[in-house]
Amino acid sequence: MKIELLAHTSSKELLATLPASEIPETEFLGHLSFTYAIEGISRACSHQLVRHRMASFSQQSQRYIQVKRLSEHVVTPPKLKNSVGNDFLSFIEAASNAYTKLVNEGIPREDARFVLPNATETSLLLTMDGRSLMHFFGLRLCNRSQWEVREVAEEMLNQARVTEPELFGGTGPNCVQLGKCPEGRFNCGRAMEMMTRYHKVK
Amino acid sequence: MKLRLLASTPAIETLIATAMLTTTSGASPISLFQGLSIKQAKVAEIVGRLEVQHGSILEHNRLDWLLEAGESEVLKILLANKFFTLTRLVSNEWLMSANLRTVLECQTEKNDFSKLLLESIKNVAPSVYAFGKHTY
Repeated sequence: MKIELLAHTSSKELLATLPASEIPETEFLGHLSFTYAIEGISRACSHQLVRHRMASFSQQSQRYIQVKRLSEHVVTPPKLKNSVGNDFLSFIEAASNAYTKLVNEGIPREDARFVLPNATETSLLLTMDGRSLMHFFGLRLCNRSQWEVREVAEEMLNQARVTEPELFGGTGPNCVQLGKCPEGRFNCGRAMEMMTRYHKVK
Repeated sequence: MKLRLLASTPAIETLIATAMLTTTSGASPISLFQGLSIKQAKVAEIVGRLEVQHGSILEHNRLDWLLEAGESEVLKILLANKFFTLTRLVSNEWLMSANLRTVLECQTEKNDFSKLLLESIKNVAPSVYAFGKHTY
């Protein structure tokens, strides 16, 4: 996985040009945008990203791009890296063979891709306004979110903190943003630990 | 009505070209962006092929304007396109933001506002500006 904040509208630049006035932070965040390049995540992860509707995505197309050497371009979940992972590897090998065979037989890539697994790597550009990004961090940095999208969110936050420390320095999962966990009975019980952790790296 | 561009995402057209190639080439978006950043003629050539692409490639940016307008004019803007974000600063001054897709979509209606919008992007997105001038 590789993530880079390619560009963003600078809050300092914008504030310097604005006439003196008070704008609530949540309002102001909506006028800024952040564009990330995200590489080497699974399709399972990108499916979670695109559920955030207040965002823009440009993702590698499996209609245009042929997947070559699938076994070298899959994301393997940590829990499948031991002996039980043999079934996973066998399946990837079988999917790879089926895909290659279909393409070689002249089946269009848009149809051959139906045999590709969720583990297949993908890359994309993602753009969110600051308010949506804050919402994304609140949900996807939570202990309850899936490990891969949490890693993506963690790296996105690290880079947002470098470029806009005043806006993102104090943020984290919802329990950190809100001061209490909104997950009800699914509460992980680690809100204090999360607050310490995210405030420490501030 | 007055409109002044205050700030925008840097390297807008490089991002558009990167988005275009990310979807259709096997290259990584980070290396595409780095490579295109030093080839502005190539960027202009790629962005010049806008009509064959999905509109979402124009969304990887945000432009912020200072808009001087009355409430009725602002209402018209919001009713015409829901993708503008507006914050009132003082009585008739507004901080307005949107992306280039919204700017181009507004060009289907010929009025003072759409003309001001298009003119405001002339320097930050010259190829998109030329496309807008030529197409609408």
